[in-house]
Amino acid sequence: MTLVKLQDVYKIYQMGEVQVPALRGITLEITQGEFVAIVGQSGSGKSTMMNIVGCLDKPTKGIVRLKGQDISRLSDSNLAVLRGHTIGFIFQQYNLIPSMTAFDNVLLPLELQEMNDAQARKQANKVLEMVDLGDKTHHLPSQLSGGQQQRVSIARALAPEPEIILADEPTGALDSKTGRDVLKILHNLWKSGKTIIMVTHDLNLAKYAKRQIELKDGHIIKGG
Amino acid sequence: MNILKCLKHAFNMVIHAKLRSWLTIIGIVIGVGSVVAIMSLGSGMQASVNDQFGNLGGDILTLSAGYSRSAGWGGHFRPRDSSSANSDDDLTRTDLQVLKGISDIAYIDTNIRGNADVVYMGSDGTVSVTGVDQKVWSHVTTNEIADGRMLDSADQNVVVIGGRLASDYFDDPVLLNKLLTIEGSSFRVVGILDDTSTSIYMPLQTAYSILEDKERDVYDSIVIKVKDENNLDAMIDKIEHKLMLSRHVTEKDRDFSITSNAQINETRSEMMSSMNLFLTAIAAVSLIVGAVGVANTMFTSVIEKTKEIGIMKAIGARNSDILSIFMLNAAFIGLVGGILGVLVGTIFSTVIPMFMGSMPFARSGTLVTLDSVIIALTVSVAAGLIAGFIPAWQASKLDPVDALRYE
Ligand SMILES: Nc1ncnc2c1ncn2[C@@H]1O[C@H](COP(=O)(O)OP(=O)(O)OP(=O)(O)O)[C@@H](O)[C@H]1O
Ligand SMILES: [Mg+2]
Repeated sequence: MTLVKLQDVYKIYQMGEVQVPALRGITLEITQGEFVAIVGQSGSGKSTMMNIVGCLDKPTKGIVRLKGQDISRLSDSNLAVLRGHTIGFIFQQYNLIPSMTAFDNVLLPLELQEMNDAQARKQANKVLEMVDLGDKTHHLPSQLSGGQQQRVSIARALAPEPEIILADEPTGALDSKTGRDVLKILHNLWKSGKTIIMVTHDLNLAKYAKRQIELKDGHIIKGG
Repeated sequence: MNILKCLKHAFNMVIHAKLRSWLTIIGIVIGVGSVVAIMSLGSGMQASVNDQFGNLGGDILTLSAGYSRSAGWGGHFRPRDSSSANSDDDLTRTDLQVLKGISDIAYIDTNIRGNADVVYMGSDGTVSVTGVDQKVWSHVTTNEIADGRMLDSADQNVVVIGGRLASDYFDDPVLLNKLLTIEGSSFRVVGILDDTSTSIYMPLQTAYSILEDKERDVYDSIVIKVKDENNLDAMIDKIEHKLMLSRHVTEKDRDFSITSNAQINETRSEMMSSMNLFLTAIAAVSLIVGAVGVANTMFTSVIEKTKEIGIMKAIGARNSDILSIFMLNAAFIGLVGGILGVLVGTIFSTVIPMFMGSMPFARSGTLVTLDSVIIALTVSVAAGLIAGFIPAWQASKLDPVDALRYE
């Protein structure tokens, strides 16, 4: 089943007078259960594409369908709800909320979805266990190592049980050993049935993925 | 996100607020504090003024010679100049007879008033002496006795004195049954009033002999107590009518005035409440300044939290969730400021009177009413909400990608 479909997608940033084309005619289809790595030089448009796939951003031109729905037709608020249910984000800089404990960070997406309290707490504990952080639930992000923070952010992405995990350079800020550990977690998630889309610079890590898409200057030059 | 969760997050934002946010709260605290302090000083003043002059005596009318059309507060009648001692607008026995002929009048008290030199245990002074009809005075006056008794019909050389004259006018306090020397004659103090005046009350006939420039059977004022205070206006019309007939005057050249306590009380409380309103308005300005401070902090805090807003949007927060959290945060700041403000205001309103010993409210203190607390809290929360609206709106409209890129 096709989860994400991009048809001739352009993203052009307006920088004052100058137009910066970040994506120039991307056509792409990702089906359920895929593990996709997106590679390419810095500035080639990887993050821009991820944001559009993740419905954080809308294209300047072209059509984006998430589970068959044209996202340009959805209101901001409906898009937020769709995003919350179907997509889990993992960022290079973890992006945890510093004033909240690991547990509260993981609980946050569930609160946003208005899951009932007892169920939400159970779920948060479950996903924290899954990433081996059962004993660190009440630590603040500042009290955790980089790898642990990234695991918290994976737990947060997993908590609402999304179909797609989007990870933009999830290992970019980690040493290679910790990076491999994080990648193993993603690999296991893929084996359990999740669709994983990951941006990476590291070709060794890209090998974990079953499909590699290479971008250059806003075009797909391989794997499209 | 449901409203309870938004509340929780808004509350956590207040808890984790930086020193700067707490400093802004001081703006609200000062604003609310001064509103509360001024409102309670106002109610305290009102209460003590009522207590002092009495809201009682709604059934009392005062008839005096002279008439002024431009009657204002405290100046209802033209003062009589000294050459008018024999003038034909004096209040006399004839007027008294007319009044006695009117049914529905319960008591009539004829008064004269003047200043007299008083000596007590070596210290002296000049105070106001009022001669009253001792048979009816106790029924007509709104004064209460603190110690001793009122005047009665057999009394001659005795006086009832004001509370302040007794307590601190002379070097020594004047006690019951002590002798005062008034214009050279000795008087025994039989009663001390529960008020803050320095007046002396004595039997009318005795007063004529003390106040030498007063002509017998001419009165400075006649105090009337009516039987039914509900018909006061009709009663005033009736008395005016009869007096005009007997004094051969018309509406145009009338030479007497009738004032009612009810009227004076009303004017007085109108004046007090407009003064309160004016002071409260001034205090409200400081509250507005406080609210602007909150708006300013909210703007800064939205900028600081840009990244967090981006994160929350990425994991499924709707614009309305962000809006609610920031609005509730602003409301919390208002509420906290309001609560602290009420405390500060209460402290101020108890401390200020201590430095203003002679002001009327010093006696009964101030009143922090439940009303003023509720108003203060409502206003401070509203101020927070208004101040927070634009920043919160701005936060809710942030583009998630831009917000996430923000460092
Ligand atoms: N908000 C923006 N405004 C203007 N230009 C932008 C913006 N975001 C991205 N760009 C431009 O779009 C192009 C693609 O950027 P993008 O972030 O997608 O690259 P990337 O492949 O993720 O690079 P990296 O590997 O360094 O993360 C770049 O030329 C970048 O300068
Ligand atoms: Mg990037």
